[in-house]
Amino acid sequence: MRNSVIERITKEAGKKKDIFLITGDAGFGVLDNYKKSFPERFLNLGVAEQNMIGMASGLGLSGFKVFVYNIVPFVLYRCYEQVRNDICYQNVPVTLIGIGSGVTYSPQGVTHYSVEDIALARTLPNLVILSPSDPIEAVKCAEYAIKSKDPVYIRIAKSGEPVIHTGRVKDITRPVVLNEGEGVAVLFHGSVSTEVVSALKGVDRRPKAVSVPMLQPMDFSSLEKELKAIHTIITVEEHFVEGGLGSIIAEWIVSERLDYRLIKLGIKNEFIHKITNNAGMRSHYGISSEGIKGAIEKAYGNG
Amino acid sequence: MDVHRLPDIAEKVRRLILEIACRSRSAHVGSSLSCVDILTTLYFHAMKIDKNDWKNRDIFVLSKAHAAMALYSTLACKGIISMKKLSGYMQNDGTLPAHLDRFTSPGIEVSAGSLGHGFNIAIGMAHGYKLKRDGRRVFALIGDGESEEGSIWEGAMFASKLKLDNLTVIMDRNDLQGYGRPSELCHFEPMEDKWKAFGWKALRVDGHSFTELKGALKGGEKGKPKVIIAETTKGKGVPFMEDEMKWHYFIVTDELREEAMRHLCKY
Repeated sequence: MRNSVIERITKEAGKKKDIFLITGDAGFGVLDNYKKSFPERFLNLGVAEQNMIGMASGLGLSGFKVFVYNIVPFVLYRCYEQVRNDICYQNVPVTLIGIGSGVTYSPQGVTHYSVEDIALARTLPNLVILSPSDPIEAVKCAEYAIKSKDPVYIRIAKSGEPVIHTGRVKDITRPVVLNEGEGVAVLFHGSVSTEVVSALKGVDRRPKAVSVPMLQPMDFSSLEKELKAIHTIITVEEHFVEGGLGSIIAEWIVSERLDYRLIKLGIKNEFIHKITNNAGMRSHYGISSEGIKGAIEKAYGNG
Repeated sequence: MDVHRLPDIAEKVRRLILEIACRSRSAHVGSSLSCVDILTTLYFHAMKIDKNDWKNRDIFVLSKAHAAMALYSTLACKGIISMKKLSGYMQNDGTLPAHLDRFTSPGIEVSAGSLGHGFNIAIGMAHGYKLKRDGRRVFALIGDGESEEGSIWEGAMFASKLKLDNLTVIMDRNDLQGYGRPSELCHFEPMEDKWKAFGWKALRVDGHSFTELKGALKGGEKGKPKVIIAETTKGKGVPFMEDEMKWHYFIVTDELREEAMRHLCKY
């Protein structure tokens, strides 16, 4: 997905002279083409995240449309106060592209995971949060960010994720239906979508599957329309089970007094000491296809 | 602008600070008085700032934004903020907050209040204007306590590499911060050497001498950002506030306001 996003921005940079790309010493093999094509509108600001975000804000205030590329901890955590004060409070059109969502980089260790980024990002007013489920959505997210006048955070995994949508994706600002179904709906975002797709293949009754690439602001009215014949919602995300999509839906259900049962699948809120690869980690925390399949069957009452 | 008028303007700015500080029971009076002569020289001598040519104005970023009263009062003297708006400083349902919010008034270029932020934003702006071949200059005022922030030195390394000779940073070197003196808390000096080692043109002046400030703000070295270490006194202009840490916090009562105004006349 990172390649889809960067290629789209690179293509646009040829037409729009105000596009600017900043990295904090990441992007080997990913940003090379952009860097070569637009050296004046590219900066590697090194291992200095506070300055990186501050300068991104200043470039935005001087009229550039700025994209910042780094792994999530270095685009959001190390420099959280800069993102809050310099980007979101000033309300400058800077897009943060955070890679390595969830436990993509297992087993690099906790320092390299981003399992609480949505929880942090959604406390920031003005910030649009996008978490595409496949490369098609990723390109749409890049296009949204290119046009947006707001600060945007795009959360992506790495490269090589498969396409999950068979049809055209028209609008990533609304929930995107992957397939219809009754009674149970699976809501998901991000690269864990592949686990959802494979879980759907192995179940007797197919639930409705809905990708939710725009987490903030959430289009609840479109979501409610999609969930008309649904009694149980299962949220699936490669993020802490508290603070992400599951919590967004839980808050919505409570505040609107809606009559859904909610099953939240995600990573347990703890520091992860387990050493295994991405697939193993998903399996450990119940967000592999098997875990999702089990939750779907339980939701239909036969698990 | 004739240099001889700058002291009169600075005195007016100080009076306005004392007025709004008293009305709002605001802290940071000493921090504001410290940089009045710097702001006066910038806005009434060095910077290109004209309400009739607003889009070509030079940019000033108050990175030590707890001195917001000094900026508001200077902008009021310059006619960019109305006296009515100034009087709403820190009032309930008022007009201007204690720290900067750029959406409250023209002339507030950057929202700030947490230290070590405005400086880096100013670097980004300077680089942006340079790339756009826009002749505007960018000025930023940082505190000496603020310079303990790592972000200052992150930015210092990159600004010189980017050859930002359209950027001038002034350090309000009053040697008093919230709860101590920079010179006593850490290995603070030698400041010019530090900035020079980071690739900047660095000079040190008396931050209350308009002649020295004017000289330091003039010109620069091609391909290098400039830092002016301005030796100042916290609370400058009001003898009982000068170089007193408590005036980072104390409020100006009606009685103290009268006393301060009387002393200001003699300054």
